[in-house]
Amino acid sequence: MPVRSFWSGTIAFGLVSIPVDLLAATRPRQTSMKLVDADGHALGRRFRCAKDGKELDQDDLVRGFETSSGELVPISDEEIEAASPEASRDIELHRFVPFEQIPRAFYVRSYFLAPAGRSAKAYVLLAKTMERTQRVAIGSFVMRGEAHLVAVLSDNGVLRATTLRYADELRSPKDIGLTKPKKKAAAAQVRRFTQAIEGLMRKTLDIAELEDRQAESLRSLAERKREHGKDVIALRGLVDAEEPEGSAEIIDLTDALRKSLSRKTRVATQDASAPREQAASVRKIGHARAKRSAATRDLARTSKSELLKLAAELDIAGRSKMDKQALVSAIRKAG
Amino acid sequence: MKRALWKGRLVVAEHAVPVKLYAAVEDRKVRFRLLHAKDHAPVEQRIVRKSTGEDVAREARRKAYPIDRHTAVILQPDELAGLEPPAARELDVCRFVDAALLNDQWYDRPYYLGPDGDAARYLALAEALGKQHMVGIARWVMRKKRYLGALYLDGAHLMISTLRRAEQVVSFSQVEIPKAQAPRPSELELAKQLIESISGDFEPQRWHDEHRERLEALIAAKLSGRKVVAFKPKARAPQSGLTQALQASLARAREQDVA
Repeated sequence: MPVRSFWSGTIAFGLVSIPVDLLAATRPRQTSMKLVDADGHALGRRFRCAKDGKELDQDDLVRGFETSSGELVPISDEEIEAASPEASRDIELHRFVPFEQIPRAFYVRSYFLAPAGRSAKAYVLLAKTMERTQRVAIGSFVMRGEAHLVAVLSDNGVLRATTLRYADELRSPKDIGLTKPKKKAAAAQVRRFTQAIEGLMRKTLDIAELEDRQAESLRSLAERKREHGKDVIALRGLVDAEEPEGSAEIIDLTDALRKSLSRKTRVATQDASAPREQAASVRKIGHARAKRSAATRDLARTSKSELLKLAAELDIAGRSKMDKQALVSAIRKAG
Repeated sequence: MKRALWKGRLVVAEHAVPVKLYAAVEDRKVRFRLLHAKDHAPVEQRIVRKSTGEDVAREARRKAYPIDRHTAVILQPDELAGLEPPAARELDVCRFVDAALLNDQWYDRPYYLGPDGDAARYLALAEALGKQHMVGIARWVMRKKRYLGALYLDGAHLMISTLRRAEQVVSFSQVEIPKAQAPRPSELELAKQLIESISGDFEPQRWHDEHRERLEALIAAKLSGRKVVAFKPKARAPQSGLTQALQASLARAREQDVA
């Protein structure tokens, strides 16, 4: 099943520019469930003021920071946005390093980079050269309001960008309290372990050992119940049982930005910004207008040409190849 | 000394090594709380029935498994409890394979394994593992969940990183690379020189999470009542054709010693 692209950008280093589409290289586990009550009714999350118990709208909320003494300091959307990385479509490569120098602990999440320009020549040249020199590029890019450090590598001619942790996000053994051993192990014991390891050495992986047994057991149980017509309900309108970080207080900054962009109608005349910044501001406003449109109108009843215009303002990758249904779901997802 | 998350026994064939598991990731994410804009009072989240807005107590909530695009099946608490794997303290190593068989797509969260009492056996295993360039495929149960991980040596210490499942890893063959004219030898040579001129060692401390740092500065400024300075981005250079671009990049890199 082909994977759809959700973001497009340009690999940039020196004066080289290679347009690419980003595709997920990993899928989520099939273990997440939806939240319902005992009768199968959809449940949702609502915000309440802890003081007077009143239900609150998105517009009634503001972000704040909790100090160590428990003081709550409000921070405005403008202030948070001012600290955000500048929106950019560049995957800037800073340095090429030997592949084996990157510890596994740094890897977070992978994305494939597919060539998006009219010619794949530059892409193929970069991929071939990285493989020949056994090097990986360390770079950075901004996606959905977050700045990421990445390792860009080539695998069988296909480029992959894997996000990396920052150095201060990894603990050293010293940080944990693990000390370097002062003496060597007993040779006889090392020999016994070496033999045990050798006995377990295999040339290939066994997919059965790497499959998701938890997902499989959930699926089997659900299938069996469906066959007997037990507890079967409609999926429409159901929300996830788990929040991304499992807490009401934890806010995804991307949502904060999206909210602030969709509420404000600033005009890009404040300062003498460079043409590119003005273009970015204007794109943001068109973007904001498009998001509001997407939210308010019934997308299913919109003409395909209108949908394409909306998709263009929302910068949805691959829109020219989408049919009407795909456009509707992509716009809904982006808004 | 950081607290261990869990204690267990690493089982390699007939040998067992008592170990303690420690998180290797330091969470530095800047988190905000939601406040009521009017009076800055804290905001709490309630779970309600969507159609009526009424609160639903924890005991009345259920989980439903999505089985296809239109359907879900409610899984009752006793049914879910029946699926829980039996509690165990073993980290079973099923096999050792060449590290190259698991690429970056597989790796999820890293953990350190430290000795739990028997330091001599831990040391012997670490040394034996250090002689190979192999990773061990390990499975264990922690807090009622099944875990899959890769066991390897990092310096002098054992590490175990959780792995994604086979169903989660997308093959590179899913990506279409359109046919392109094969690069000429001169282009390959130029590209190799360019990459080598921007090469260096992996020095992770060079790159900072500047977004996080700006947020921390913003918060510090607010707490001390200072005015916040807005962040101004840099302008970018225009593009050019490939060969000229490569040559120009090379010339500039040589001049400026980019790496």
